[in-house]
Amino acid sequence: MIKITDLEKFYRTEEVQTVALNKLSFDVKEGEFVAVMGPSGCGKSTLLNILGLLDDPDGGSFIFNGIEVSGFNERKRANLRKHNIGFVFQSFNLIDELTVFENVELPLIYTGVKAADRKERVHEVLEKMQIMHRKNHFPQQLSGGQQQRVAVARAVVNNPKLILADEPTGNLDSSNGNEVMDLLTELNQQGTTIVMVTHSEHDAKFSHRIIRMLDGQKVTENILV
Amino acid sequence: MIRNYFKIAWRNLKKNKFYSIINISGLALGMFCSLLIWFWVKDEMSYDRFYPDYEDIYYVRCNSDFNGKVVTSALTPSPLAEALKKDVPEVAFATKLAYNRDLLINFGEKAGKENGLYASDDFFDVFRLPAIAGNPKDALASPNHIVITRNVAEKYFRDISPLGKTIRLNNDKDYIVGAVIENIPSNSTVQLDWVVNFKETEQEWMQLWGNTMLRTYVRLHPEAAPENAETNMKGIYPKYADMDVFPILQPLKNVRLYSDYKNGKPSGGGIEYIRIFMIVALFILAIACINFMNMATARSSLRAKEVGIRKVVGAARNSLFKQFISESILTSLLGLLLALGLVKLTLPAFSRFVRRPIEMDITDPTTLTSIIALLLITGFLSGSYPALYLSAISPIHNLKNKLKPGFFNAAFLRKSLVVFQFTLSIFLIISMIVINGQMQYMRSENLGLDRERVLSIPLEGELYNKMEPFKQEVLRSAAVENATTSAMLPIDIGSSSGDLSWPGKDPDLQTNVSVMHVGYDFIKTMNIELAAGRDFSKDFRTDSLAYLINESTAELMGMEDPVGQQISFWNGEAPVIGMMKDFHIQSLHMPITPLILCLDPLNSSHMLVKTRAGKTAQAIQDLEKLTRKFNPNYPFEYHFLDTEYEKLYRTDTMISTLIKYFGILAMVISVMGLLALAAFTAEQRTKEIGIRKVLGASVTNIVTLLSGNFTRLVLISIVIASPVAWYTMHRWLNSFAYSIELQWWMFILAGSVAILIAWITVSGQSIKAATANPVKSLRSE
Ligand SMILES: Nc1ncnc2c1ncn2[C@@H]1O[C@H](COP(=O)(O)OP(=O)(O)OP(=O)(O)O)[C@@H](O)[C@H]1O
Ligand SMILES: [Mg+2]
Repeated sequence: MIKITDLEKFYRTEEVQTVALNKLSFDVKEGEFVAVMGPSGCGKSTLLNILGLLDDPDGGSFIFNGIEVSGFNERKRANLRKHNIGFVFQSFNLIDELTVFENVELPLIYTGVKAADRKERVHEVLEKMQIMHRKNHFPQQLSGGQQQRVAVARAVVNNPKLILADEPTGNLDSSNGNEVMDLLTELNQQGTTIVMVTHSEHDAKFSHRIIRMLDGQKVTENILV
Repeated sequence: MIRNYFKIAWRNLKKNKFYSIINISGLALGMFCSLLIWFWVKDEMSYDRFYPDYEDIYYVRCNSDFNGKVVTSALTPSPLAEALKKDVPEVAFATKLAYNRDLLINFGEKAGKENGLYASDDFFDVFRLPAIAGNPKDALASPNHIVITRNVAEKYFRDISPLGKTIRLNNDKDYIVGAVIENIPSNSTVQLDWVVNFKETEQEWMQLWGNTMLRTYVRLHPEAAPENAETNMKGIYPKYADMDVFPILQPLKNVRLYSDYKNGKPSGGGIEYIRIFMIVALFILAIACINFMNMATARSSLRAKEVGIRKVVGAARNSLFKQFISESILTSLLGLLLALGLVKLTLPAFSRFVRRPIEMDITDPTTLTSIIALLLITGFLSGSYPALYLSAISPIHNLKNKLKPGFFNAAFLRKSLVVFQFTLSIFLIISMIVINGQMQYMRSENLGLDRERVLSIPLEGELYNKMEPFKQEVLRSAAVENATTSAMLPIDIGSSSGDLSWPGKDPDLQTNVSVMHVGYDFIKTMNIELAAGRDFSKDFRTDSLAYLINESTAELMGMEDPVGQQISFWNGEAPVIGMMKDFHIQSLHMPITPLILCLDPLNSSHMLVKTRAGKTAQAIQDLEKLTRKFNPNYPFEYHFLDTEYEKLYRTDTMISTLIKYFGILAMVISVMGLLALAAFTAEQRTKEIGIRKVLGASVTNIVTLLSGNFTRLVLISIVIASPVAWYTMHRWLNSFAYSIELQWWMFILAGSVAILIAWITVSGQSIKAATANPVKSLRSE
């Protein structure tokens, strides 16, 4: 599903140039659950942004579903993204002004789903995430674990083939964290490919394979299953 | 301490340059309008207040009954002044003034036209004008003497003393210069450059009480009550004229601005325009203050942390309040300085525009007080709410840097204020469109007579004496189509009479019919359509006594077929020989009234020349040559009739232009506020925009989202502004006897303009926010 070869990303700030990704290569197969680990600043988030088509690499190749997508323009990337990829962030990134229901509904609006279908689909995922009883609450009124469940609901509402999670448990206590990991595992078992960045060896154990990075490069790969 | 407040305020202004510039320039524009209007109003209010003891001077008007309604006339009969002085003990002096005239003055080689008037003996006792040379009072009282102003003295006598010199007036009679007075200030309702005793021009028929043609002024004894004088004046008409007419007094200082009377009582006049523009200026200032308030509260969340820290380290609420007020006063001060500069720059153009020499004297105590008041009011008005709001924030909230809605919802207030701003702007835009439409209509409306390519030439000196040969020569020019003569310009026929009667007239019915004396070919030259009958013609000797009437006159008399009927008017009993289709005889403010034309070429003071199409320049050349030949003592003078017609709408044009500029200014300031608010909102919502983009929102989605909110506010403004504007404009259009109808498209147009402008303003910021890379905005979390 994903094949990256010699991927490069640089950040230029005034005179300093940071190499965030340095000729990084690996594959992710359909249905896999991959964890990415590494020290702070090694380029994990940068990698995820590129995999999520939020950012463009400065070099190398990125083949998504058999299509070379590096060099795609903003519009093409957005289009591919909204139909295929769901995101889960460490800081949840829910919109404070919208209710739980409205937050989860957003991706459907942007892919042009009809209102009645949207309602049905949102209810379906909220049930599944066991957060239905809070659908009219605002994010600020929920606990961190509940908020992350909403974020996962939002990530899967479009039935994406790929879910990218950047430290999804980073802001949660261990019991809430485990709940989220269980949700991701369940989604993976239903066929969704997952790439997750994490600092937690405990969380990484939920995956099939761990990619360890250092200074923008892959150092090792452990296959767990 | 105060210095410290201002130091920190200054730092804050510098730190947020974009918002400071918008606030300062917005306030500057608002204050600029207020100051401009202030200087204008001050000038208008200064009229006639320079006369020594002006409080004792009154203008005399007369109330009389007209078919059951009280009408107030501004002109009075000649014997009134003497009767007032004799019979009313409160009156110390009374004078009467004939209408102002431009007459030729000759002294040696020098010749020119000067504006002046004939006035009776007490003139200089009522208007105590300072003398430069001689004694004006004595000079006016002596026969064959003239009093001139410094202007005239300097123009005709330059280095020599004018006293005792003889000048010729109107190429007719010699007068000895008896005194020279200071120039009349331009803010006097009585204007003149020369004055001669009324006796010199008085005719026997003027002695009639029924002939109202003069302005009468009185000076009361200093301690006299004007009410008592008015009571005593009630006896005059019954005693001398057996008429039910009651003179009333209007304080001289009110003559300029309160010229309208309704039911015998003052009902306004120019003061209404002053009020309107004062309100408009205040509105514009309010719009600018709102910008400031909106930005300050919107940005308060950013300053909440600063407030919290200050409070934690011990700042009291009132010192915080002072800090924020200092900031708004400093902003206002910078705005004020900018505004004063703008006023200085634009004052010459503004003066030309309102036709007044308006001065900007900021050392004048009242002006200085007002400017300081303006500064403090603006500073407090725009600063107090943000200051209260911010200083009330509790430190615990602040340190968390999350500002929850305070004692009342700031976002709601902000939206209401934006709606308020746009309501005002849209109101002004609608007014602008309607007023402009009415102006266009007035310019293009078919008057029923043709004012295009018509030149008027004053018939003076030899042109008057040799009127007929002059007309024949004029007609010989290939560039001239037609020519006629008339007593006044047919676009503003002011003279009227109650003397019309006809067989079967109800003796109780009072009539008021406009009259004009004309020469031959008037109908043909002016292209007036005849409904029946014919024009005056040399083929009928009896035409010198006949009447031409308009349809309204026929209607007044209830005659279906008036041609050939005998009516009684100024020429005695004589037949109607023609009926003209109704045409406009005054500006469109006035309804068409009954009109009677009498043939009397000798009563003419203008020649009206219709030129051939495209030959106007040639015609002017020919006319100049002819005039020089016939009338070498007078300068050649001509006017275009349609230009003279435009002059009838000078006030309307001025109002329309002012509203246009003010409307644009209001819109500009509102837009600046909106721009700042949009920029701020976009900044505030970067995280949200980022999330939405990650979830698949397109640039269009985001722009619509951000602009949509503002568009909704503008839509609400349109809904509020439209009925208010409809009501106001409906009333304004009603002040015209003939006006355009209010059309729905005017409101749609104004609304679309507002939405479009708001949209352009906001979408710039929205697009910037929408095209930003979401990764960056999410990283900042
Ligand atoms: N927008 C940017 N501008 C400049 N440098 C950046 C930018 N984004 C990331 N970097 C740099 O790129 C490198 C990789 O950053 P990245 O955010 O991918 O690290 P990370 O592995 O996700 O770290 P963490 O575990 O702390 O989240 C870092 O050195 C970082 O400073
Ligand atoms: Mg990271």
